[in-house]
Amino acid sequence: MTSAMEEKLIRWPEEGVRRIPYAVYSSQEVFEAEQKAIFRGPIWHFLGLEAQIPEPGCYVLAQMGEVPVILLRRKDGSVGALVNRCSHKGTPLVFLPAGKIDRFMCIYHNWCFDFEGNMTSAAFERGVRGKGGMASTFKKEDNGLQKLRVHSICGLVFGTLSDETPPFEEYVGPELIANIQRVCAKPLRILGQYSQTLPSNWKLYIENVKDPYHASILHAFNGVMKQDRLTMEGGITMGSRGWSHISYSKMSTDGGDEVYASGDLRSAEITAYGFGLRDKSMTDVWDDFGDRISMTIQTIFPNFVLQQLRNCLAVRTVVPKGTHESELRWIAFGYEDDDERKLNGRLKQSNMMGPAGLIAMEDGMIGGLVQQGIAGSLDKAAVIEMGGHGIEPIPGSRVSEGSVRGFWTGYRALMGF
Amino acid sequence: MSESDLMYRSALSDREVQARRLIADYADTIDDGMLSDWPKYFTHDGIYRITTRQNEAAKMPLSIMLCDNQAMLYDRVEAIEHANIFEPHVYRHILSDSRTVEVTDDYLGVATSFSCVRTMLDGRMTLFAAGRYVDRIVLEEGQCRFRSRTVILDSSRIDTLIAIPL
Repeated sequence: MTSAMEEKLIRWPEEGVRRIPYAVYSSQEVFEAEQKAIFRGPIWHFLGLEAQIPEPGCYVLAQMGEVPVILLRRKDGSVGALVNRCSHKGTPLVFLPAGKIDRFMCIYHNWCFDFEGNMTSAAFERGVRGKGGMASTFKKEDNGLQKLRVHSICGLVFGTLSDETPPFEEYVGPELIANIQRVCAKPLRILGQYSQTLPSNWKLYIENVKDPYHASILHAFNGVMKQDRLTMEGGITMGSRGWSHISYSKMSTDGGDEVYASGDLRSAEITAYGFGLRDKSMTDVWDDFGDRISMTIQTIFPNFVLQQLRNCLAVRTVVPKGTHESELRWIAFGYEDDDERKLNGRLKQSNMMGPAGLIAMEDGMIGGLVQQGIAGSLDKAAVIEMGGHGIEPIPGSRVSEGSVRGFWTGYRALMGF
Repeated sequence: MSESDLMYRSALSDREVQARRLIADYADTIDDGMLSDWPKYFTHDGIYRITTRQNEAAKMPLSIMLCDNQAMLYDRVEAIEHANIFEPHVYRHILSDSRTVEVTDDYLGVATSFSCVRTMLDGRMTLFAAGRYVDRIVLEEGQCRFRSRTVILDSSRIDTLIAIPL
């Protein structure tokens, strides 16, 4: 698709990234253009954790937009990724979401491939009793599986289908690399996984993650329990070109009761009910990293989240399924050296995240509500002006939508809007 | 019907009859929207958790919801009624017959299959969840209560959110 055609798909408001045309959340043409320009384009997409594939032959399935991907550990212990599509007819080579195999053998016609994606054999390749067989023009070396470039950092594996994608470090930036190294410094232990079907476009979810403005307002549990309030010391760190970000806050630095009591905030009203935890064990937290930073939410453009909510650690990926549907996949983890107290603490704090998350619950539905509200108004646009017009962070403040504008900066660059 | 089936049917102990009533009452309480009564079905040290078949099979300890004492159950009720925001909806649980899987002096181990239909205010109806309850039921203060109730969902993918417990 040429950029001239894309220009017609969406006419971006002249204000720039402080306006988001509602049509980007609803148009089928935009959805299809994203698959090519973003998901098969120059991005690093999260594929899985090395801990999911501990031994040679172990694999997990991933989804890069519409493209089905196999992440696997090869015989030499390195990790690789291949498109899950037989080069013959296009059949997926593996179906189970995770498993252990010694080669790929397609169920349809027994075409076989090694872990590098090289084709090794096909059934009846030389025919039967000297008759038939593959045409003389057929060469196995030309019919391997499509490979991805992969980058593994501290047990997180990312992949890309484009030759244009810059090196990972350059793509995310040094501060974000440092936070990955901080959260994933030790061997990870996977605690479990689940997913949610979200009734909204994938971008409404990722915008919500990048928007610290809403966190203590929509999520009243956060505000009332003083888990994460904008009056806590914290800030936003931007990644390369502003496309990715980290939002963070520190423990025991909140002096914001008067702001929350005087503002017209729902969480302040709830204090009137005398709401407080009867069981304090969920707030039994410890400083995992010795830096008093109690919360970090990091995104990597376009759709990956690394979460540290106190001691509750997880990765999330939002997979686009259609203009009005996406799937949010969660993997919770701790560390291999966690003692029983830490393991149980993380499991208990997991009540904050996921589809039943005391904090995360509303994130599952808010995008769906937005989608209901904007229906029939696709010529209009969202107003994103908290913290100014640009993508520069305000030092020491999270009362900003700068990171949301940063996402749209990357989006426009790749989509040509 | 075989002799052993007849034996089974005629040999439900008082404890088993009470346990079955507990399981049916629990579902009615949630379906009727009496959420504040939900914690009363558990012992003081009672454990309630929702997990998935996939996590159980992989021996992964993560829960979608985890309360390991009655106070945490009350905290959940407070959060659902006063803090969390979601589109109002109701559940309708359909339960299978319950199977006694373990009998000890202390507790009764019982397994029950369920499906749950979720209906939103505007009338949208979804088959929201299917799975199995795995329970340990004890007698406390003359009442049958859950010492533990594990909800094992067949699907690992939840539609939007779980606010009301299953």
